Amino acid sequence: MVQLRPRSSRVPAPAEAMVDEDQLGPEEEEEAEHGLLLGQPSSGAAAEPLDEDDDDDAPEELTFACAQAEAREEELRVRESVRRDKTLLKEKRKRREELFIEQKKRKLLPDAVLEQLTTASEADIKKSQENVKVHLKKESEHIAKGRNSKKVKIQEVHSASQNKSYLAVRLKDQELRDSRQEAAKHFIHNCLYGSESKRTTVNKFLSLNNKRLPVKKAAAQFLNSTWGAQKQQNARRFKKRWMARKMKKKTYK
Amino acid sequence: MPIFNLSSFSKRLKDKEWGIRCVAYNNQSNRLAVSRTDGTVEIYNLSANYFQEKFFPGHESRATEALCWAEGQRLFSAGLNGEILEYDLQALNIKYALDAFGGPIWSMAASPSGSQLVVGCEDGSVKLFEVTPEKIQFARNFDRQKSRILSLSWHPAGTHIAAGSIDYISVFDVKSGSIIRKMVLDRQHLGVTKSRCIVWGVAFLSDGTVISVDSVGKVQLWDSATGTLVKSHLIANADVQSIAVADQEDSFVVGTAEGTVFHFQLVSVTSSSSEKQWVRTKPFQHHTHDVRTVAHSPTALISGGTDTHLVIRPLMEKVEVKNYDAALRKITFPHRRLISCSKRRQLLLFQFAHHLELWRLGSTLATGKNGDTLPLSKNADHLLHLKTKGPENIICSCVSQCGSWIAYSTASRFFLYRLKYEHDNISLQRVSKMPAFLQSAVHILFSEDSRKLFVASNQGSLHILHLLEGSFKHLHTFQPQSGTVEAMCLLAVSPDGNWLAASGTSAGVHVYDLNHLKLHCTVPAYNFPVTALAIAPNTNNLVIAHSDQQVFEFSIPDKQYTDWSRAVQKQGFHQLWLQRDTPITHISFHPKRPMHILLHDAYMFCIIDKALPLPNDKTVLYNPLPPKNESDVFLRRTAHAFKISKIYKPLLFMDLLDERTLVAVERPLDDIIAQLPPPIKKKKFGT
Repeated sequence: MVQLRPRSSRVPAPAEAMVDEDQLGPEEEEEAEHGLLLGQPSSGAAAEPLDEDDDDDAPEELTFACAQAEAREEELRVRESVRRDKTLLKEKRKRREELFIEQKKRKLLPDAVLEQLTTASEADIKKSQENVKVHLKKESEHIAKGRNSKKVKIQEVHSASQNKSYLAVRLKDQELRDSRQEAAKHFIHNCLYGSESKRTTVNKFLSLNNKRLPVKKAAAQFLNSTWGAQKQQNARRFKKRWMARKMKKKTYK
Repeated sequence: MPIFNLSSFSKRLKDKEWGIRCVAYNNQSNRLAVSRTDGTVEIYNLSANYFQEKFFPGHESRATEALCWAEGQRLFSAGLNGEILEYDLQALNIKYALDAFGGPIWSMAASPSGSQLVVGCEDGSVKLFEVTPEKIQFARNFDRQKSRILSLSWHPAGTHIAAGSIDYISVFDVKSGSIIRKMVLDRQHLGVTKSRCIVWGVAFLSDGTVISVDSVGKVQLWDSATGTLVKSHLIANADVQSIAVADQEDSFVVGTAEGTVFHFQLVSVTSSSSEKQWVRTKPFQHHTHDVRTVAHSPTALISGGTDTHLVIRPLMEKVEVKNYDAALRKITFPHRRLISCSKRRQLLLFQFAHHLELWRLGSTLATGKNGDTLPLSKNADHLLHLKTKGPENIICSCVSQCGSWIAYSTASRFFLYRLKYEHDNISLQRVSKMPAFLQSAVHILFSEDSRKLFVASNQGSLHILHLLEGSFKHLHTFQPQSGTVEAMCLLAVSPDGNWLAASGTSAGVHVYDLNHLKLHCTVPAYNFPVTALAIAPNTNNLVIAHSDQQVFEFSIPDKQYTDWSRAVQKQGFHQLWLQRDTPITHISFHPKRPMHILLHDAYMFCIIDKALPLPNDKTVLYNPLPPKNESDVFLRRTAHAFKISKIYKPLLFMDLLDERTLVAVERPLDDIIAQLPPPIKKKKFGT
């Protein structure tokens, strides 16, 4: 078969050809490069001037060796850059880890206090024995009954100092407790003053008798001082200004 | 003597939080424990003329829902914060708080033997606790129900428990903890179906009958052996919220949301037959708002509710002697002094639950005749609004006579402030670093010259602090004397600063010598608690008022009762004086007239003139102001020592500021009612 010189293709070379440097041979690489450069749909006369240079001149003479060397250099360069990137990333990760460890260390209490706490708790373990027993008993009861109790018993941490000035409590427990208390209060408010109950205001309740008298009297709290709050305020301000004006006139006279 | 009428700014007691939530009656000591919605628990001694002896201050997070006495004299309460509290009646503080781990607690009941407690929780569990000598111990859980347990009741034999929930009642067997019977309630009411029927109260009788009261308005009797409905009484259009059964099980009382209290009695069907049935006998309408709690003592029906009144209605058929003791008692106003006064600067300090207010009194330049109301030329000034830190309520407070020191105490801390006045401005500075022994005070008092501070702590000891500019120095502590704590401690100091009187123990009133810092003498003990104490300016006579309306005068230098006091005791007080409802809360003296004693209670104020003759039972006690043209003979015949005036609306405080002025703080009942939550609508024909 006649080995035809591969013509510049009308379609640009596929992207894989460029990226996969290891598999591509030196010649193919060259061709691919060419392909990309000349990869434009030629429409007759427009494509001609580009092809002309190639067609007129003799093809470039590239020895296999130098092309191979070039390719190998290229490979090395790429490998180096990848290695550099990897080491850089590694370093970055290392630094971050160290930073995290430091932050965590900073968050914890100083060693001295921790030591004291552990020794103090060992000393007081007898005192809290009862408490723990009772509460553990409760916990076992809960588990035995299959209750899904999310609350963990509040472990009383006996402080290092003699005064026992603080008590360590889980915040989650307190929130749960508060939300349950709120729900209970809401329930009872709904029962007594909710939509189903027939409630009336104190004013109407007290005025009921006044309505049935032979001579009807006014309601118990007839005036509602909250009506027209803005108007009242305006009136007060006007009064102040008027008084001031009056005073000024008097002194002026 | 011109009198300033101070009803222009009335004390807002935040009455919504002062409503009564639960009541528990103790048969052994004839005492009543009352718990209010802000967590305050008060102990009333029903045999000492219904006087409020002790109280435990409230707490913001505590929403007490149940109160009960167990094992004789131990008081427990449980609330929506999920904790069971035990109160120490001697040390006047809370012994401990135990978390029940069931969520908010809705109900609590003590077994008939008093050795077990059972609580009903939000998650539907019923928990049993054993009452040990120091604490209570969790025993076990009963079968868990689907909805919250709102009411509990023990069978008198202690074998079964009835628990009322939403739409049903369950009966448990105590030994096994399992449910035996379940009775389902009907939600319908005259054709109107409500979304749920809440069982507000249950009671278990010894013959196995369970009485339930629910939100539909019915009182139903069930047979727990078969789980069937025996009888149903429809008594109200609104909820029936409480039930209490007498010990003999022949009567019970229920309270409704409309304010009516019904009495049910076990009556025989015909006069000769032995068959009995429960009949609704008496309705009582003493409340305007919901009656959230009732109690049944052997001789009286006790009810309390959202309208803050405590009503004790003795039953006529149970009372042996038909005298004034059988009348209705309505306790509305506090039995202790919540207002203190600084005479020199004309300031009043009002104590509320979570803050203090300091007001300067207004003044008037006009003059008028007797009985006129004069217009104010300078209005009353609101100088200071001091909020307390933390969720606890304020127990007691005081302002010094010169107006430059304010002290108040909560259940765990003591606060002392220094006030400075410059040209109508006032600056406040807190004295920090209070000593460790000064934690919770029951009564605080400043000396007349404002150099010493006397604090009665709840452990029974009396501390004396010397006040310097901006700081203090601890002078002395009088240790608790012998005798059990009977009532809250009251203090009184003599104007010359030599003597200090302290009451509160069963041993009597102690008088201490402040110059030598030792106990001087003890007034002999009296079996009724002291309601007010004061020492007269020059004569150093100690005037003591007791809860049975007796007034004694004791001379401190002579260490014996005065002659006038002996004469009064010999003759006895007037009948109407002894029949007064409310205790005397404050005694004061006129600086220039040593023969006058001023005292007041909630409905009257009285000037006792020791020079005039004493009234006997036949004279008229309440003399109206004699008109000018009355003849002298009539005046001389009717004049007696007790000059009583009832012209003021309910009085909270009255004191003499100087020779010519008297200050009175009123609390009209209408103001109290105006701030209450909404009541149930009543339909009246024609409106």
